Order: sequence, then C-alpha cells, then structure tokens
Amino acid sequence: MNTARLTSIFLFLFASVVLVSSPSRAEELKYKRTIENYTMPDVTLVNQNGARVKLRSLITSDKPVVVDFIYGTCTTICPVLSAGFVNLQQKLGPKSSNVQLISISIDPENDTPKVMKEYLQRYRAKAGWDFLTGSRENIDKVMRAFNAYIPNKMSHYPLTLIRNPQDGKWVRIFGLTSSSEFLNEYKKVGGI
Amino acid sequence: MSNRTNNCIVQSLKRLLPGVILCCSLFALSATVIEDVHAIDLSPSEAFLQGERIYRDGVLPSGEPMQAVIRGDVDVPGTSFSCVSCHLRSGLGSIEGGVVTPPTNGRTLFQPYKVQYKQVKVDQKFYPAILQRPTYTDASLATALREGITPSGQVMNPVMPRYYLDDKEMALLIAYLKTLSDQPAPGVTETEIKFATVITDDVPSAQAEAMLAPLEEYVRHKNSMINLFKKEKRSARMAATMVTSGELMYKKLTLSRWMLKGPPETWRSQLEEYYRQEPVFALLGGISNSDWKPIHDFSEANHLPCLFPQTDYPVISTTDWYTLYHSKGIYQEGEAAARFLNEKIAALQGRNVLQIVRNSRQGQALSTGFQETWRDLGFAAPVTVTLGEKEVLSKEQLQKLLYANLPAAILVWDGAESLAVLESLVTSSERPAITIVSASYLGDKIWSIPEQERDFTFMTYPYRLPQREESFKRFIEPFMKKANSSAATEVISKKSYIATQMLTQGLMDLRGNYYRDNLFDVIGMMRDQELPLYTRLSFGPGQRYASKGCYMVQLDKGAKPALINKSDWVIH
Ligand code: HEC
Repeated sequence: MNTARLTSIFLFLFASVVLVSSPSRAEELKYKRTIENYTMPDVTLVNQNGARVKLRSLITSDKPVVVDFIYGTCTTICPVLSAGFVNLQQKLGPKSSNVQLISISIDPENDTPKVMKEYLQRYRAKAGWDFLTGSRENIDKVMRAFNAYIPNKMSHYPLTLIRNPQDGKWVRIFGLTSSSEFLNEYKKVGGI
Repeated sequence: MSNRTNNCIVQSLKRLLPGVILCCSLFALSATVIEDVHAIDLSPSEAFLQGERIYRDGVLPSGEPMQAVIRGDVDVPGTSFSCVSCHLRSGLGSIEGGVVTPPTNGRTLFQPYKVQYKQVKVDQKFYPAILQRPTYTDASLATALREGITPSGQVMNPVMPRYYLDDKEMALLIAYLKTLSDQPAPGVTETEIKFATVITDDVPSAQAEAMLAPLEEYVRHKNSMINLFKKEKRSARMAATMVTSGELMYKKLTLSRWMLKGPPETWRSQLEEYYRQEPVFALLGGISNSDWKPIHDFSEANHLPCLFPQTDYPVISTTDWYTLYHSKGIYQEGEAAARFLNEKIAALQGRNVLQIVRNSRQGQALSTGFQETWRDLGFAAPVTVTLGEKEVLSKEQLQKLLYANLPAAILVWDGAESLAVLESLVTSSERPAITIVSASYLGDKIWSIPEQERDFTFMTYPYRLPQREESFKRFIEPFMKKANSSAATEVISKKSYIATQMLTQGLMDLRGNYYRDNLFDVIGMMRDQELPLYTRLSFGPGQRYASKGCYMVQLDKGAKPALINKSDWVIH
C-alpha cells in the first residue's frame, strides 16, 4: 500500500469522526413581513466614533438601509440580530458598502460610543454598520417613528426594517430570518 | 445525502483539515505520540477553566474561537457571543424578547424537564420552546449541542446555535455544565437568608446609623410578615398569588454588621475572618469614606455579591462581577464634565482645558474621571495643576496660568477653596467661556456662590434636582421616619432605601434558585427604575453602576437660588 493511499484511508477515518460532530442545519423559519411608510424625526444621534449624525440624512440614502434596535449588553435577541447584520456584510463581500446598516440603541444610558465601538468590533463589523445612541428623548422619538416604542428595554422584540431607496417605503420584518431570507429581502428592495 | 449536509461536511473538513493532517503525520511517526496527544490529562481545575472559557468567552482550548451556526444558516464565531450571552452566567437561562432560553446547568439537564412559566408571555408562534423532554445523557447532550435535537427528538428553534465541537471540547464543556449552579450558595437554608453589611471605622457613627437603619427596618418588616402569614392563612394565600417565589415568604432575613478597623491594608484579613465565621449569601449596603477597593477585591475573590455599598470611590471596571454600585461615585462627575465639554466642542475652538486639582481623594477621583473620559473622546490631555493639601492658589498665579494656556474651559476640582478661584475669574480678562466645579465636593457651599459668578459656573450634580425630588418625598416618608432619617443624612438613607427595593425584586426573581451568579443574572434583566435620589437607575448583564447620569447645573439669580438644569441626565 502506498503512502498516498494510506493517507486517504486516514482521511476517511477522520472524516467519519468529523461527520458525527457536524451540526445539522434547521429548517428555515417563519417571520412576519409588512410594507410600511415611516416619517423620520429630525434628530441628531451619536455614532460609535462619537460623531454626531443626522438620522434623516443617514437614512435618506440611495442605498438600501437596514435598521434594528439593540443594546450593548443585551442577551439572546441582539446577538442573533447582529449575527444577521455581519453575515449580510460578509455575503456581500466587496459590495458590502452598497448597504447602510444601522443599529439604534435602546439602552442609551449605558451605550456610549466606547461601548458601541467594542460591540461592533466583537462582531467584526465592517464600515457601513453604524451603532447610534443619543438622548432618551431622541431615541424615544425614533422608536415611535418606527412604531417600535417600548418603555422598557427588557421587553423588546426582534425587528428588522429595510428601506427601499426607490420609493422610500420600509419592509418591516418581525421575527428572525435565515441569512438567505435576509439576503432575499435585501435584493427585493434593489440591493446588490 | 442532501446538498446541505454535503456542504456542512465540506465546511467541517476545511476547518479540521490542518488538524487532520497534523494527526496523520504524527501517526506516521509513531503510535505512542498519538497516545500522548489524546491522553492530555488535565487537572480538574485546568479542565474547569477550559470549560469555562468555552462557555463564557467562546474560546476553545486551542485558542481558536468556537464556531457555530445560528438562524438556520448564519455562521458565527464564538468571540461574538457564546453560551453565556443567552443562558447567562449561572446557566439558568432567561426569557428575553419573547424567546425562552432554558437552563443549561447539569442539575436541570440530567433530569426530565417540564416547563412551567408563571406570569410570562412567551411567543410560541415564532420560537416554539422546549416544553418537555426526558433526561439528557452525555451523548444526547452532545447531539443537542451539535444538531439542536432534544432527547425526545424535538428540533430546537434556530435561536439556539448548532455548535462545531470535537469530542474533547465537548467533554470539557459538558463537564463544566455539570458544575454550573450545582450547589446552592452558602448563607441560605430552608428558613433563612443571611446578609452582612460592612462598615469601616472612618465613618462617623451618625452616617453609619443612617446607612443601617433603613436596612434593619426592612429586615424587621420582612421577618414580621412571616408570623403574619403563619397566623393568617388568608393573607398568606393572597401574598402567594402576588409573589413569584412562594418559599421566600417564609424565609427569615438576617443582617450582621461587619465592622472594619484600622488601616485599609488590614481589612482583607478582617473580612476573611468574618466570612469564615459566618458565610453569608451576600453583602448588603455598607459604607466607607475610603476607597472601596479592598472590600471589592474580597467580594471578587470569594464570589460574594455586594449590593449597593455606599462609597464615593468604587472600583471602576468593566469586567469585575461581584459588586453592584449605585454609580461610579465622584469619578462619574468628572466623566460628566468631559462629556459636557465634548458637546460644547465648538466653544473650545481647538483650545486646551485647564484643570486645577486639589490633591485629595475627591480631587483625584474627579480628575481621573475627567481625564479618562476626555482621552476616550479623542482629546489631548488637559493642562493639570495639582494643589497640595493646604496650598492656596493666588490670583496672580491663576492669571499667569490663564495667560500661558489660554484655556477654553477651566475645571476646579476643589472644595470651598474653589470659591476663591471663581471670585478671581470674575474680573479676569482671560476668563474662559466655561468653568466647571463639583457640587459634591463643594457640598453646602454651592448655595453661597455669588451672583456675578453664577452665569459662567457650571456644576456637576449627580442626583435628581431638588425641585423634582420633592414628589418622591411623600411615598418614602413613612419608611424614612421609621428609619430615623434626618436632613443631614438624607442621601445616605435614600441610598439604603434603594438597596432594599432592589433586593426585594432580586430575591423574588431568583425564584428559589439561590445561586450567587443567578442573583446578578436576574438583576441584569431588570427594567429601568425611577427611585428616590437618582433620575434613573438601569441594569443589564454585566452593568455594575446603576446610575449612569449626572447633570450639569447652574444657580439662578436671587438670594434663594434654585439649581437650573443645563444638560441631559446622561450626556452623549
Ligand atoms: C443566541 C442564544 C443562545 C446561545 C448563544 C446558546 N444557546 Fe442554548 N439555547 C438557546 C435557546 C433559545 C434554547 C431553546 C431552544 C428551543 O426551545 O427550541 C436553547 C437550548 C439549549 C439546550 C437544551 C436545553 C433543554 O432543556 O433541552 C442546551 C443544553 C443548551 N441550549 C446549551 C447551550 C450551550 C452549552 C451553549 C454554548 C455552547 C448554548 N446553549 C448557546 C439559546 C442559546
């Protein structure tokens, strides 16, 4: 028996061990999807670099814009939403600058630029994903504008909003999409 | 074989290939080497630490991040989040955003499970939860973690990631899960929960009493309810429908005083001795006029929770776990000053900031808070002039400093002596646009700031403004009366009151699971609170300073001036 053959047998042996430890992928899940019109309040928020950002001008972009509500120390929902954001950036690769991702803090007490910057680093976010904080008053205004107001950050729910740059309408997604569903939704608003 | 599974194998292979090749070549060398590779016998404590690292940090023994798939097909590295992000530090799980994350401690996993959610709304449509399953074995647990399938064959919802773990990593993780929330914490019995409160001997007795009285009144009240419930079955039944944790109704609370004497270097051994004699469940309140650090470090080392100690000098850390403070203390005022100046950046016109700092504990804490925040905001260090204990800054010296630096703002981190500086600024031609002092450091002296200094003097003020605080008076008055609160010690009494309110909620949310990490897990899931003293208290996993705010205020005109608010509670 030659060495190449030997190696391939070992490889096969190991491969069968690997089989046992390979996770299975679940069925795609259901989510609720509607089309909405929203009017943005004219507020100034602060991003992860400490820069002041006019929300209206950031959102009124000729790129598709995706918005979600998260906070730096949040469990369960935010990690899952953020994994989706970073996955979209990765899938788009060099074209990731074609989309503007915006996470808005629902814990402005704790979410300082420093906290937000560390959060984005943990997720290996690329440019084009901004995390915004601001005064409670302004944050409340933004939540209300998206019909997403919650008085208490602990009672939030998974919500993703995608803006179509052509007509300014929003796709409102309640629930968690798989990454291919997310990519599809992105393409539907003209994303490339 | 479906396309998907195929894909999956290819991916796993890609990941494991370097390892596979390494193993093969080792195998070719000699059989004994591979024996060694597989028989790395870790000491139990090393194995524990490696398991903990997987669970908490998502890092494998190799140092590589653990890999997983979430939401069906989204790949995530363990460094973004790991088990602890959802199942929490205690492993007892959470309910958040309509998603139920079940417990993952050994005690729960290795027995049949049936869900009982009392008083919570769970969104079963989008995230069907595990409602029932037989007990796990090590093998079926591995299947659950890799494939998301429970022993009864139920496919878990896609929020729970599917993890790529080899057999050794899996064994380390499972061994760790078996240690999680395994033995109830010391200090808790069928009938009792023990607490202690730490008092250092630099605190005047009136202050110590003001801290203690609300806590003791609270304990007395709670314990008197036990007798009532035993006598009056009807009140007991009514209470039982209201609380989420029935057994708590009949548990007595005890509160010991741990008095620390002498220099702070000796506190640690005194604490260890108290703790050896009486292993309490947690420290409640407490008060010191020195740095809290020795007590903080003791809590950290013994994994002993300390809730709301009263100190102007907490340890400032983003990773330490076992002490929950009201705020960052005096440090937070320096932080607020930096954020306020940052907001007014246009007024600075690129010019520097001058800090005059009294070499005292307060002065240093204010200066550190300012400098660290200022640096994080991306500014160059301010010009800092430190004044010795008795040193007086003359008008001429101040004038010289202003000429030399032409600062856009001047911060005076000093007590009553800052008033002299303010006075000489009135007539100075080089007066910067903004002057900042600390209301905590000035104390009662803030009210004597003369009129002509008021419009350029801003003060850091870490509490709700007095005019707003009035409305809280009525509802805490009866309690405060019983706790002998007086005007002189009002702030101390209120801080203790906050401790009692948060403890009540925390104990209920434990739902009988008396694990110390669980205490912080449940506090981390609490909603924001509006209680006396602070405009807002907020919590979150790992957050350890409940008040994040501090106003910048000015005095208005007149003989009986009010404080006027010049900023948000939290300045961004
Ligand atoms: C993003 C959140 C999240 C992360 C991260 C996570 N889990 Fe889970 N886990 C869940 C949810 C949600 C469920 C419940 C799934 C269901 O009900 O279908 C679950 C279920 C489980 C179960 C099944 C419990 C039972 O009673 O059957 C185990 C065991 C478990 N997780 C262990 C782990 C371990 C170990 C890790 C880290 C390696 C981890 N989980 C990471 C959210 C998470």
